[in-house]
Amino acid sequence: MRSLYLVLLKYKDHFVFFLAVILSLSFLLRNDSPNIYLIRGKFSDFFSFINYPISWVKNMSQLQHETQLLREKNIQLSLQLESFLVDHEENKRLKELLNYRRESSLELLPAKIINMGSSSNISSFTLDVGLNNGVRVNQAVLVPQGIVGKTLIVGNTSTIVQSINDVNFRLSVRIYPSGATGILRYLVNDICEIRELQKNANVNVGDKVLSSGFSTIYPENLPVGEVTQILDERGSFQKVARIKMGANISSILSAFVILGELDAKK
Amino acid sequence: MQKNKLVFITLIVLFFQILFVESLTINTIRPDFLVLFIIYTTIINGRLVGIIMAFIVGLISDFSGVGSYFGLSPLSLSITAYLSGFLYLKYERLLPYVFHSIWVITILLHFYIISYFRFQTVYLSDKTEFILIWLMSFGYTLIFFIIMQYFFPLREASHVKISK
Repeated sequence: MRSLYLVLLKYKDHFVFFLAVILSLSFLLRNDSPNIYLIRGKFSDFFSFINYPISWVKNMSQLQHETQLLREKNIQLSLQLESFLVDHEENKRLKELLNYRRESSLELLPAKIINMGSSSNISSFTLDVGLNNGVRVNQAVLVPQGIVGKTLIVGNTSTIVQSINDVNFRLSVRIYPSGATGILRYLVNDICEIRELQKNANVNVGDKVLSSGFSTIYPENLPVGEVTQILDERGSFQKVARIKMGANISSILSAFVILGELDAKK
Repeated sequence: MQKNKLVFITLIVLFFQILFVESLTINTIRPDFLVLFIIYTTIINGRLVGIIMAFIVGLISDFSGVGSYFGLSPLSLSITAYLSGFLYLKYERLLPYVFHSIWVITILLHFYIISYFRFQTVYLSDKTEFILIWLMSFGYTLIFFIIMQYFFPLREASHVKISK
């Protein structure tokens, strides 16, 4: 027993290293454990509290620039609105004639991004809303340019979002106008890959990519990006499309969470 | 006293990494001051302290927000601390280029582990792109490491008596 103690004492740094590696690996392998989620949720609230003043200062400094942009956008939108109102009335009248079922509108919760993690590559960000605001796990997060992620860990006052550029993020998408569906995953530099596309799908550069709706998380027709490249290898049974994401993850300051539950399409 | 100083510096580095590193982001790549801190801590205080600090700091870093692979930072930082431990009190015994090569390779390995986990899809589809991401992440942190050498060289950190 004493000799074992002496061996441990002699090689204590190797022993501690071994222990640290074992613990780290056990965390890595138990990423989906509810206990880990619970602890991360608590820590997320704590870090959001620390981050709040910094995020407030950052937002204030951006405010003037943002106000200017919003004013310009407001004028443009006011001009567009007039024609849309006329179109809307006409659309409503025609839908009534066709007895068309009204589509449910999305309930959006605005949120500020208070932290983007501390790792050397962005794979998540923290929002300043949580359980108290009605946020739940697995709800879509988007910006006007497109989907940016989904809620992963929800604390009382903050939420960690798994961003679209996380290695484990997948999204079912549809390419328009062809209607081809595939599975999207992030590649690098705001470029994503759509896999599982049918070989005979008519996909072209410049086609719009939207969420397919085959999901309980993402409603259909949310913008994602635009096709920039098509990889069609002769030996492969499927086609791969590369797209440029609409949203720039590294520069977003605020986002929206889609509240409520969706029914998966069959 | 020494312990308090270490805890105080750790808190400052963590505070800086979590709150301010975002402003240094270039195309989703950010400098990793934690690896820099761990190498210095290990060279100053030895391997045991280095590994313990690496694990704790890595864990806190992952708690502050990470999409998937929770536990990756403590793993890679612990490996970094373990390898940096070979440099403890070794500046005078090793040739300078060997000494400096070891810490450069250690940082390179740290970023390889991080990049391999986080950019698996790129690794599988485009090796060149993967190597580029790995080297860019490494290079960005290395710039800060080199800047740090002007203020507090590793030679001084490794308890070398400098003759004037």
